[in-house]
Order: sequence, then C-alpha cells, then structure tokens
Amino acid sequence: MNIKIRNTLTEIISAAIAIIWMYSKLNAAANMSIASITQVLVQGIGISILAAIFFAIVIAIVSAIITESKEKNVVDERDNMIEFYALRLSSVIFGISLVIILALLGWFNLHINFGIIAITFSVFLASICSTFLKIYLYK
Amino acid sequence: MAKKKIHIENTVRRLRFNNDEMTQEQLADLVGISRQTVVAIEKYKYTPSLELAFKIALAFNKEIQEVFFINQ
Repeated sequence: MNIKIRNTLTEIISAAIAIIWMYSKLNAAANMSIASITQVLVQGIGISILAAIFFAIVIAIVSAIITESKEKNVVDERDNMIEFYALRLSSVIFGISLVIILALLGWFNLHINFGIIAITFSVFLASICSTFLKIYLYK
Repeated sequence: MAKKKIHIENTVRRLRFNNDEMTQEQLADLVGISRQTVVAIEKYKYTPSLELAFKIALAFNKEIQEVFFINQ
C-alpha cells in the first residue's frame, strides 16, 4: 500500500470517527438548543482533524517499522489532478445535499436543528466520497 | 476537425531498461515525480503534461517524439 492511499485512508477513518462520535452525541437533537448542537458539531470537526493527524503519525510510524524505510511523499501534477477531481466531486455532493436539505426543511417544515446537523453530516459525506474517489484514482 | 480521442503511448519502460535498467524510483527522483506516477505513465493510465513529457525525454537524452507518440 503506497503512501498516498495510506494518507487517504486516514482521512476516511478520521471522518468516520467524527461522524460516529457526533451521531452518538446528537441522539436527542430535537430537544437540544442550537448552541449545544453547534458545540457538538464544532467538537466533531475538531475530533476529525485531531484523529487525522494522530492516525497519519501512527500509520507512518507503523509503516516505517514494517518496511524499514521512509517513503518519500512527493506531490506531482498527477496528485494535483486527483486532488482537483476529488474536490470537484465533494463540491458537487455538498451542493446537491445542501439543496435537498433546504428543500426538505421547507417541504416538511422540519426543525432547524435537523438542517444544521444534516448540512454538517453532508460535509463529512462529501469528504468520504471524495477520499474514496482518490483511492480509486491512486490505484 | 472531428473530435477524436487520441491514444498517446510511450517507450518509457523500454528506455529505462536500455539505460542501465534504471528503476522507476530513480526515474521518479530524476524528474521530480512520485513512483506511482511513473507506474501510471508506463501503463498508459496517465498522460503527462507537456512539461513533464519533456523532462522525461531529457532524462533519457531523447527527443520527445521518441518517448511519446500517438498510436494510430
């Protein structure tokens, strides 16, 4: 497994951890205040960033121990192109999700809490989809 | 002019072997790309930019058309 795929996997793992953590904290979202919901969401984003850094370090150390060599992380034009494709996919997914969420909020007259949560989760969904695309293109 | 997809192929793999069996890693270091990109180029899965194509040709001391060509 090369360094690009390893880095991408850490992104997926960290996003998944953040989603699970936020989901467990937002069980009674309908009864929560907007302040407490946004607090959970911001904490979730922070956890995803910290988890990404932590797993990147751990996986790099484990990989260096197993392979007994330090792999260079060179970023070239192909990597930039893949990043661009991934960014485009995540923007499309987030854009579509945002429109659907806003339409559902208006159509079913849902509580604004659900809108905030759904928008945050759609960011993570877009991020996970784009990382899967990156893994597919790196292979 | 009709839009027709062209298939750009290359002789990078053969040229590497002709150059003292240069490894993919060595070529990657020489032109400043990752080994994965060299693999993708050799498998025709990625067509490099003009700049990178020139760098690769220069690494083998060849003209660009000797390295990259269109398969009719």
